[in-house]
Amino acid sequence: MRLLTAILFGKTIALISKFFKIGGGSAAPGLYALKINPALVSDLSKQVKKNVIITGTNGKTTTSRMLAHLAKEAGLKVIRNHTGSNLERGIASTLIQHSSLNLGGYRTKFDLGIWELDEAAFNSVAPKLNPDVIVFLNVFRDQLDRYGEIDTVVKKWCGTLKNLPAGTKVLVNGDDQNTLKLAQCFKGKVQKFGVKDYKIKGESTAHNQGKLDFEATNIRLNGLKGSAFDLHTTYKILHTTLPLPGLYHVYDALAAITCASLLNLPTHRIADTLKTFSPAFGRVEKINLNPTSHRNPTSEVGYIFLIKNPAGATQVFETIAPNIKPDDRLLLALNDNLADGTDVSWIWDADFEVIQNQSRAKSGDNTIIVSGSRAHDLAVRLKYAGFSVNSDDIQPDLKSALKQARAGLKGQLFILPTYTAMLELQSILAKFGIKKHYWKEEV
Amino acid sequence: MKITIGYLYADLMNIYGDTGNIIALKKRAQWRGIDVEVKNISVGDKLKKGDADIFFFGGGQDQAQSIVASDLESSGKGKIIKAEIERGVPLLSICGGYQLLGEYYKPHKGPKLPGTELFPAYTLASHDRMIGNLVINSMFGTLVGFENHSGKTYLKNKVSPLGMVVKGWGNNGKDRTEGCIYKNAVGCYMHGSLLPKNPKLADWFLKKALEVKYGKEIELEPLDDTLELQAHNSAVKRFG
Repeated sequence: MRLLTAILFGKTIALISKFFKIGGGSAAPGLYALKINPALVSDLSKQVKKNVIITGTNGKTTTSRMLAHLAKEAGLKVIRNHTGSNLERGIASTLIQHSSLNLGGYRTKFDLGIWELDEAAFNSVAPKLNPDVIVFLNVFRDQLDRYGEIDTVVKKWCGTLKNLPAGTKVLVNGDDQNTLKLAQCFKGKVQKFGVKDYKIKGESTAHNQGKLDFEATNIRLNGLKGSAFDLHTTYKILHTTLPLPGLYHVYDALAAITCASLLNLPTHRIADTLKTFSPAFGRVEKINLNPTSHRNPTSEVGYIFLIKNPAGATQVFETIAPNIKPDDRLLLALNDNLADGTDVSWIWDADFEVIQNQSRAKSGDNTIIVSGSRAHDLAVRLKYAGFSVNSDDIQPDLKSALKQARAGLKGQLFILPTYTAMLELQSILAKFGIKKHYWKEEV
Repeated sequence: MKITIGYLYADLMNIYGDTGNIIALKKRAQWRGIDVEVKNISVGDKLKKGDADIFFFGGGQDQAQSIVASDLESSGKGKIIKAEIERGVPLLSICGGYQLLGEYYKPHKGPKLPGTELFPAYTLASHDRMIGNLVINSMFGTLVGFENHSGKTYLKNKVSPLGMVVKGWGNNGKDRTEGCIYKNAVGCYMHGSLLPKNPKLADWFLKKALEVKYGKEIELEPLDDTLELQAHNSAVKRFG
């Protein structure tokens, strides 16, 4: 009865918040329903046939989305939490939203639950989800004001893993020295994925990690178009083409495909399946900045790359730098809201010098505009990375910054926002008629 | 002219974005035509008098910090750093580095961990996490940074704090002091990174480093600090 009341109550809140457009309705329903029935997540997730948890500093959303794509293509009915709502309340909200009430009680009819979990929330929520597979993507330093130190994150995961049943399939990034440590904390088998030759740059990179269970070889990075690689498993080699650029996305794809194969999803068609994958908002999104113009359809192409911590940002810089042409422009937006991290010190550990050293945009337009609540900090960072920046390039208001960046733009515009700046950007683009608003976006 | 920056335990004490201080010192010297070398000094490395004209010591994770604490003592580096500071070599230490250079650190459990005794100060573990933007008044004017610590540092008598807290917690959240300054050595809790947004302090370090090295008074060429001061002022305005 308590569960029914909680679901009903949550659904009512969802309706209200949707009606008044208070938000995406992705957190509040769960928050209140959990107060009525704290066991809601555990009760409802039992109705889902199999559950997968994905956690780590970078790549959670893209990996979850890829896995959902692969599962749906295989004909499974998938339930997953909304982008960014990766605390218990977000999961509760999703479960409430998708449970139907009838005379017999409640029911949820799903084959697979894919749950993206915040690194800290993992410890309290993972046991409640009774997971079949857990994927640990990586641990990089991120928002020390919120998560504390890397060692603390790993230590807590370790404690949580110790109490999970040995039959749980645990999949870790074998190229990350922190996720590798988790093997010692789990009584069951831990399987590793990783990349041969290319290693992702970052303070957590592991060397001599031993044999990988799933290894990507023959990596070909094909500019902004994407990349291709061969995935070696014990039984076969999968030739994979990925429509997302950057080595970090190879890791996400590797995690998703490996997880799919642990779930016994058919993987033989994966190469074709991923070709139709489209990324989550702001994670390498290609947009047409001027949809009404018919003059020149190739003009005003924009790319949005989310940046949020030193390792992730540096990987983005490495991906875009070789593709920046003389007429292209950059718009960087740094906010210091809670969801971005209130400490902006991290920009000094992100390798902005990469853009300066590798880009071909030494001549030409070469405009850089900095925005966000900490635009001034960003301007100083860029100056010390060797860019020529002046006060006119600082435009804290994102809407004005976007206008300035688009005025007279001949090439492409690379937009690199932090998390809340990205949400703001989505809503600005929607007003300009460029992009659907996020709650209308398909999950 | 040339200066050598000794980056203490760069591989272990580098997680709080403090590298910006090295970048700021390096660039501000180079823009004035001064050659710069950054020397990483870590576990297993030797240190002798004159190896560095200025030291930088950042913050690290707890585990790294205990490795560093024992290396400072066992390798004798702590003693040499102390002797160098006595003859006027400048040093900037932040958070973990600042704590390690005090007299001791008292954790929740177990015995006191001895420090280098460079700053007449000691730190006690606490259960408060002191996180947020930090604004202080100092002899270098207003300074802005970001603090993130749970250790509470107390200064002994007759030693100067770096400044007084306008906004934030500072050394211990009680006596409104922040940091410590002894000769040309500064310890504090200010991440941010500190020096890029506080160029006056950055230049004071450079000037002291050159003066000690070359044994004469040095006037640094002024730089265009428009962007730095805008960032400084906007932080003071928002958080001060």
